Amino acid sequence: MAHDVPALQAHDIGKVFEDGFAALTGIDLSIHEGEFVTLLGPSGCGKTTLLKTFAGFHVPTSGRLDLGGRDITTAPPERRDMAMCFQSYALFPHLSVGDNIDFGPRQNRVPREQRLARLEKLLQQVDLEAHRDKLPNKLSGGQQQRVALARALAMRPSVVLFDEPLSNLDAKLRDQVRREIRNLQKEIGFTAIYVTHDQAEALSMSDRVVVMRGGRIDQIGAPEEVYQNPLTAFVADFIGAANILPFERGANGSVRTPLGDLDVSGRPPEDATYLVWRPEDAEPCTEGTPGALSAEVTERAYQGAYTELHVRVGTSPEQRLHLPHAATPGDGRITFRLPPERLRFVTGEIV
Amino acid sequence: MTLRRSLTIVALLIPGLGLILAMIGSVFYVAVMQSFGFFNLTGEDAFSLEHWHDVFDSRAYWRALRYSAYVAVISAVGSVILAYPLAIWLRRPFRGAGLVSGMLKAPYFVPGLVAAFLFLNVVAYHGVLNQFLMWIGVTDAPIRFQNDRNAIGLLFLQIWKNLPLALILLTGAVQSISDDVLDAARDLGAGRFDRFRKVIAPLTVSAMQAALVIIFIGAAGDFAFQVTVGPTNVQSMAQYMVFLKDSFGRWNQAAVVGVSLMALALVGSLTLAAVSRFVLKGGRW
Repeated sequence: MAHDVPALQAHDIGKVFEDGFAALTGIDLSIHEGEFVTLLGPSGCGKTTLLKTFAGFHVPTSGRLDLGGRDITTAPPERRDMAMCFQSYALFPHLSVGDNIDFGPRQNRVPREQRLARLEKLLQQVDLEAHRDKLPNKLSGGQQQRVALARALAMRPSVVLFDEPLSNLDAKLRDQVRREIRNLQKEIGFTAIYVTHDQAEALSMSDRVVVMRGGRIDQIGAPEEVYQNPLTAFVADFIGAANILPFERGANGSVRTPLGDLDVSGRPPEDATYLVWRPEDAEPCTEGTPGALSAEVTERAYQGAYTELHVRVGTSPEQRLHLPHAATPGDGRITFRLPPERLRFVTGEIV
Repeated sequence: MTLRRSLTIVALLIPGLGLILAMIGSVFYVAVMQSFGFFNLTGEDAFSLEHWHDVFDSRAYWRALRYSAYVAVISAVGSVILAYPLAIWLRRPFRGAGLVSGMLKAPYFVPGLVAAFLFLNVVAYHGVLNQFLMWIGVTDAPIRFQNDRNAIGLLFLQIWKNLPLALILLTGAVQSISDDVLDAARDLGAGRFDRFRKVIAPLTVSAMQAALVIIFIGAAGDFAFQVTVGPTNVQSMAQYMVFLKDSFGRWNQAAVVGVSLMALALVGSLTLAAVSRFVLKGGRW
């Protein structure tokens, strides 16, 4: 992947709708060629509005958008070198699979031989050669999504935009199509911007994840970075499971929390508002181990790969622990420690 | 399917479909038979092709046939052409859309003869239009717009009256196309006209065919508009039929014209529907 050249750059993009609702505020984002970037956030966070602004279906009320160094802020969708995969697939119901895929190249007057060659290759790539002459309503949801992807790729666009493309598929099919999209993206090397509210999807597919909230970007980073080092309480809470605790600065590099005094690996930043740890950060230990916390198990849930425990340390709020089955205590209590390097400080408030 | 079940279905259909078929069938039967010399009001019934010969030999008949076909085609196509952009415009809700939609559909509720007389008041020799043109200095004397030879006034009325019907049918069809499908076409490089030609038109072709057929049949059989605002140098088929019956009591020849009018309605509307489907589907059936 050639991640050096910026394919798409958003400079301080804002979007205020006619009713006064500010859907996007101060969006700065640089997406590199061949990169797979996911816009992740809860419903109403502005991720689809941002994607549609990239596509040209919304014109930003402020800021600038560059594609390959060219200002496309006000360019209509048909003049942008992008293609979109819609949540509803948006296939043309009156056209066959082949004609759907061929729509864009034909529209853009690609020579017939090239169009046919492109069509053959794409049908092969998305494994739909046998369905070429069928109408979309004769295909399954997964096949329709593959047609939508092939239709977008037939344009040979600089950027492919995905608007929650898997949300209409069942869990198993979703996993399969997710891998197919990612493999195709790696194989062909197109730049992908993918919108989802599914954190698992975002973490498993992306080179970088853009976490959005209330029309703003909260954090941009690689999946591991966003998961391991959330910058805000919202990101920590939204991505994966997290135990988020208020804290006070204590003496000797420790902090005072509802779990008691905890040793941390560095001084909390001035603007830090919460202490965060992931359920899998807890390490079972024996009584008397330095930093050991003794907790009452209030709930136990088998999760397949691990067991989830809900525990209370004294009168603390309920905390979540993910432990291997073998490390799960038999009785109603557990002793665990939180390694200082696994405790992170975040800013902002919990939504 | 058992006999009992078949009989049940037939019994259930008789009150509705049966009545319609009986009414249409009896009228059609009488008209056809009368054109061949039966159901005579005076004289004896006997099979004869004489009435068809007589009518086919008349220049007035062929002029009326051509004229009715012309009025029907222009009315149907004109109404649909004007209704499409309006239907697309009204596809997305906007402030005042309901009022606009209501205003556009209002002509449908005005009886045809009333509309024709209102139109006469506007285009008459001393009508509103002439007075206005003289007042703004465009003309020095009134112009004869009324009963114009090319039936422009009549076509205007036909389209004005039928536009709401086409609009009702097309609005529903256009609104059933999802935003995503149109956005996808746009995203793939289709401009406004190509989105219409390649997506909207093929997806609404059935509604458009229904509009064309209904308007064509209505306009082909027009009598009220023709006798009020139509040209005086040519008769419509309906007018010619009534003329034959009233002027000379030639019921059998009037029946020939009536059967011809039904044939025109059937053949013309089917042809129009087929051609429009072929064109809007991009040269494919």
